[in-house]
Amino acid sequence: MKHTILFLVLSLLPLSMMAQSSISGQLRDENGEGLTGANIYLEGTYDGTTSNLEGQFLLETSETGEQLLRIEYIGFKGFQKALILDGKDRDLGDITLKEELNELTAVTITAGTFEAGDKKKSIALSSIDMVTTDGSSGDVYGALQALPGTTTVGESGRLFVKGGDSRESKTFIDGTLVYVPYSSSAPNTSVRGRFSPFMFSGMMFSTGGYSAEFGQALSSVLSLQTNAMPVEDQLNISLLTVGAELGGTKTWDKASVSTNLSYTNLTPYMKLVPQNTLWEKEPQMLSGDLSFRLKTGKSGLLKFYANVNRTSLTTIEESLNQPGTSFPYKLVNDNYFLNASWTGELRKNWILTTGFSYTNNLDRAAIDSIKFQEALQGTHAKVMLKHRISDRIKILAGTEWYSKSFGIEIPGSETGSKASYLNNTLTGFLESEIYASSRFITRAGLRFEYSDYLKRSSLAPRISTAYKLGKAGQVSLAYGWFFQDPDDAYLLYSPELEFERADHYTLNYLFNQDNRMLRTELYYKNYKNLVRYGWGDEQGYSFVNNTGDGYAYGLDLFWRDKKSIKNGEYWISYSFIESQRDYLDFPEQAIPSFSSRHNLSLVYKHWFEGLRSMLGTSYHYSSPRVYNDPNSQQFNGEITKPYHSLNMNWSLLLKQNVILYFTVSNILGYEQDYGRSYAAMPGPDGVYNSKAILPGAKRWILVGCFITLSKDKSINQLDKIN
Amino acid sequence: MKKITLFVFAMLIATVLMAGDEKYYQKMGETLSGFSSCSSVEDFQNLANKFRVIANVEKEEWLPLYYEAHCYAMISFMGDLSAEEKDSYLEKASKLIEGMEELAPNEAEVQVMKALYYTGSLVVNPPQRAMNTTPLIHAAIAKALALDPNNPRATFLRISNEMGTASYFGEDIAPFCTQAKDLLQNWDSYELKSPIHPNWGKEDVEGIVNSCAK
Repeated sequence: MKHTILFLVLSLLPLSMMAQSSISGQLRDENGEGLTGANIYLEGTYDGTTSNLEGQFLLETSETGEQLLRIEYIGFKGFQKALILDGKDRDLGDITLKEELNELTAVTITAGTFEAGDKKKSIALSSIDMVTTDGSSGDVYGALQALPGTTTVGESGRLFVKGGDSRESKTFIDGTLVYVPYSSSAPNTSVRGRFSPFMFSGMMFSTGGYSAEFGQALSSVLSLQTNAMPVEDQLNISLLTVGAELGGTKTWDKASVSTNLSYTNLTPYMKLVPQNTLWEKEPQMLSGDLSFRLKTGKSGLLKFYANVNRTSLTTIEESLNQPGTSFPYKLVNDNYFLNASWTGELRKNWILTTGFSYTNNLDRAAIDSIKFQEALQGTHAKVMLKHRISDRIKILAGTEWYSKSFGIEIPGSETGSKASYLNNTLTGFLESEIYASSRFITRAGLRFEYSDYLKRSSLAPRISTAYKLGKAGQVSLAYGWFFQDPDDAYLLYSPELEFERADHYTLNYLFNQDNRMLRTELYYKNYKNLVRYGWGDEQGYSFVNNTGDGYAYGLDLFWRDKKSIKNGEYWISYSFIESQRDYLDFPEQAIPSFSSRHNLSLVYKHWFEGLRSMLGTSYHYSSPRVYNDPNSQQFNGEITKPYHSLNMNWSLLLKQNVILYFTVSNILGYEQDYGRSYAAMPGPDGVYNSKAILPGAKRWILVGCFITLSKDKSINQLDKIN
Repeated sequence: MKKITLFVFAMLIATVLMAGDEKYYQKMGETLSGFSSCSSVEDFQNLANKFRVIANVEKEEWLPLYYEAHCYAMISFMGDLSAEEKDSYLEKASKLIEGMEELAPNEAEVQVMKALYYTGSLVVNPPQRAMNTTPLIHAAIAKALALDPNNPRATFLRISNEMGTASYFGEDIAPFCTQAKDLLQNWDSYELKSPIHPNWGKEDVEGIVNSCAK
């Protein structure tokens, strides 16, 4: 009996107490270097070990029979080997681990691109940068003008990229087109972006050679991603020297709603600070927006945003046709914008994105007693599918529908003139991104567009590639064709036009290490099929066609250093742009008036810890631009003075939820010269009258206070306990 | 005789059945004791690897993931690493927290680790990250306290955060000193769900109380 029990006990003892063996090996990467700190273990058991400094490991185990040895190491593909353990020691010798593609460290295509966002490899601008890159007072486009490839055209305020006109740059929010991204303003007065930079968590600014996903922009694309889910209920109050803003956010587990109301009235400010522009009624703006977010399913996110805005102003313009007299210019702008997008994972490695935007923009203007209105309605619908075929190959495919109607009406005129057109464009695009290795990526795509107003289609190839040189440097190349519909004014005149076209060649070198970045870019743009027109005697076009052309080439240099100065960072941006065109009503090939050869921006920011303040200063320089004097034989022969502007802004964190903000642009009061505007017809003496185009004011000053009130849920909980 | 045989048999079977669970507790206990001897990045990485091995076996347990994430969070607070290196460890912690939230969506300690992770992320680059990360820290602490109002670690993080903010703006920190003293006094009265549940933080609260006494 005793023996039976003993036998039973012994027979039930774990077999592991009987056999102990070891498994050893040497881990190496593909260069033969030992891998330290890798995790080596037997699947399903607690037996594991870590590789030492030389990459050697020794795993002791009492397991026997069929076992699976697994080796894991961040940045490398996992390794496994089936073993049958029989109590004898095993040496597996050299084991080489293969590198795994890590998108955070792998090479990316940088030709023509500035990308920023929550992603760790953010390079250029965040929303904080937009607000603290002075002179822009939170204007997205103002801040972008501190980046290379852009020219500052002070009387416009829009984005002019690499020798291209402002209409050649398009803005997208969450992948959907914003037909009217700029506010309305008086003639030759700077505009601003309609959106606050704080709405966005990510930005991709491409100054050329962009993906097949985007089109209808000859020069550049700005793609903005709005914030995902807010996490706290909040009440935001902004008090500014030019107006006030009130907004609130309410969040739930899977949804959130935000709303904002803003009123701007420049009357008190403009009465206090002398202006060059004469105002009968200073600009006033009332706007409201609503946005919500909804999490759907496991990974889906639905975003919705709507904005309604009314702007009104009346300036007093000096008459050029009747010198000595002046007339009022009145403008009322109503703008409705809404967009919705949904992104979700359909299945593993399949991501579906759908987006929709609607814009309704109405400008009602009166020049003296002549009224006219411009109405634009645009919709954009997009469906895009991204599929990751393997960890090295991704493809994306999509289709879009754009519908735009634009019309000009002159109410009350004899002929009751009204002209409008409707253009529906259907697009399809296909693109693949292939990593030959983590050092070499190629992206190739094709974009198709069909316009039913022009009855024409286009097929554009886009190809770009990047190669990582060492640990910190990389070289990138891009080539592509870019098509764009002619401007509304010409489409209104005739559908017998073609797409305008620009071919981009871009070469980029990027060095990014240890919080310092050097970016240099060489590019050449060849413009074809640009609109050319003639003006007839009967106050209309005598012809409009696509026989215009042009070119632009240049060099961009960008150096950003966030490391050398403690609590400070600076960047230097220089662009050389050589550009000429023979288009519109140019009599010959000439430099366009919006292009300047040398463009320099110096930006410095400093955080004063003791004062809890951020100081931002910048200096911008653009070399003289040209403009045309019809009195002169030479076209675009007049030259402005160079553009200089020294700006600063100061943000003070007064309390955890109160920020004071102060900004001044053109501190030194330099008298900007934007050229002259000329009468349409010569006077009785045969001379075309003119007046200087001046900035709205010498300087711009803004003081603001931003208050955030949030309901801290934990405080409520503590009240309940105590 | 039969009864004894049956009894022994039953006990042995029970031991074999319990062996799985017991082995988990035993392994966790052993590995947890490694925390006290960790001082370098390498030490914490090796310890994290040990928790990873346990996590690979016990796929339904959030605790191994918790401690693995804790190791990476501790690494991120180490001064001699570059911002990119710190972010790469925080990235690992972030994935683990996602896994934990799936396994234990109503566990206060998971939210505490989430708040610790966001704090680590904030510290890497305060001027750029403060605006977006601070509400995330608040939300995680608030959720932890909502799930478990007496959780001493969540309370410690709340006090530490609010005290840091108050002193930064030159406000009075006395109320927080009092709260820290109370927390320290009541620390041991908090009932842990198991011997391997998180138990850290007392030393940190002692640190606050000592600095208040000065």
